[in-house]
Amino acid sequence: IPKRYRHPALEERLSRRRTAQEARSLLRCRRAGISAPVVYFVDYVTNSIYLEDIVDSITVQDHINSLQQSGNDTSSLLVLAEKMGELLARMHDEDLIHGDLTTSNILLRPPTEKLDLMLIDFGLSFISGLPEDKGVDLYVLEKAFLSTHPDTEAMFKTLLKTYAATSKKSGPVIKRLDEVRLRGRKRSMIG
Amino acid sequence: MALRHQLELFPGCGVTLLLFDRLRNAAALRKKAMEGSMEGAFINPAMIVDPFQILVAANKAVHLHKIGKMKTRTLYSEIIFSLSPNNNISDAFKKFGISDSDTSVLIVLVTDGEKTVNVEDIASQVEGQQVSLDELPRLTDTDKIKKLYKITPQEEKIGTLLDSIVCRMSTKDVL
Repeated sequence: IPKRYRHPALEERLSRRRTAQEARSLLRCRRAGISAPVVYFVDYVTNSIYLEDIVDSITVQDHINSLQQSGNDTSSLLVLAEKMGELLARMHDEDLIHGDLTTSNILLRPPTEKLDLMLIDFGLSFISGLPEDKGVDLYVLEKAFLSTHPDTEAMFKTLLKTYAATSKKSGPVIKRLDEVRLRGRKRSMIG
Repeated sequence: MALRHQLELFPGCGVTLLLFDRLRNAAALRKKAMEGSMEGAFINPAMIVDPFQILVAANKAVHLHKIGKMKTRTLYSEIIFSLSPNNNISDAFKKFGISDSDTSVLIVLVTDGEKTVNVEDIASQVEGQQVSLDELPRLTDTDKIKKLYKITPQEEKIGTLLDSIVCRMSTKDVL
């Protein structure tokens, strides 16, 4: 989607770079066995990516909402949280930062009960091994999570627990996440 | 018996696939292809898992042809190049193009708009038996394909071989 306030030449380069990065991230995911849509065609003229259509999928966001509405939620939400923690740990272990983690950017492939998760929308993704970047990635998800889904603190806690157990490099990442959380609330970083 | 398909992104552009087995004149066909005296992309069917693989390559080739950004000289050579997971042109021809000793060939023809494809004309120059595209799996060399495209074991768990191949074909320019 072109941003009209940007200088045209810059817009073209930025879109192109984003498109390339998104395509690269999608391939990187699949090579590592992390579920992401298949790329059919990349058009560098319009900077569009033609992806696999995941028929009858729903977003984790919609799934959580419907589970909470039906009241039947607690244990299935925790299992879902474990699956999410595992998926994100594997992604971060590939040094892939999603950049826009929200529950609407994770799909559940049919049948929903299988909890077969797929990551989508890698437009803001990049490669980094830094715990800071991974911590921020998780922080973005945490904020999106808690603001979109009420009473899910336990769910997110489970997510992080599984993340820490699955990822080989989780220690420094969780540490950074704690630091980023503090930064978010307190303006001053002077001790 | 031939498989015909319209390219969704390029309406009016049709792709025709012809499969021949018990081929006897592979060397002659290769020569004609190189000279440009015979229309079509001559592909080794052992490297193809599904017609969709060809459509993805053809779609990319047509797109690049239309914007004047092909890496090879003709549309047909570009289709063969698009099949390759890497950016080495001569390697693509060696691995995906027809070789003198091949006993089968997949011929791809592309028509844009009014031009129709003369299948009989092409078939008459092929010394072999035309078979349905349903026979393609019998000719596919899955192990060779997995090795060439460097498919990882974890990847096989989340999708089909075709998925892995198409992903590599479409994203190789950013690697």
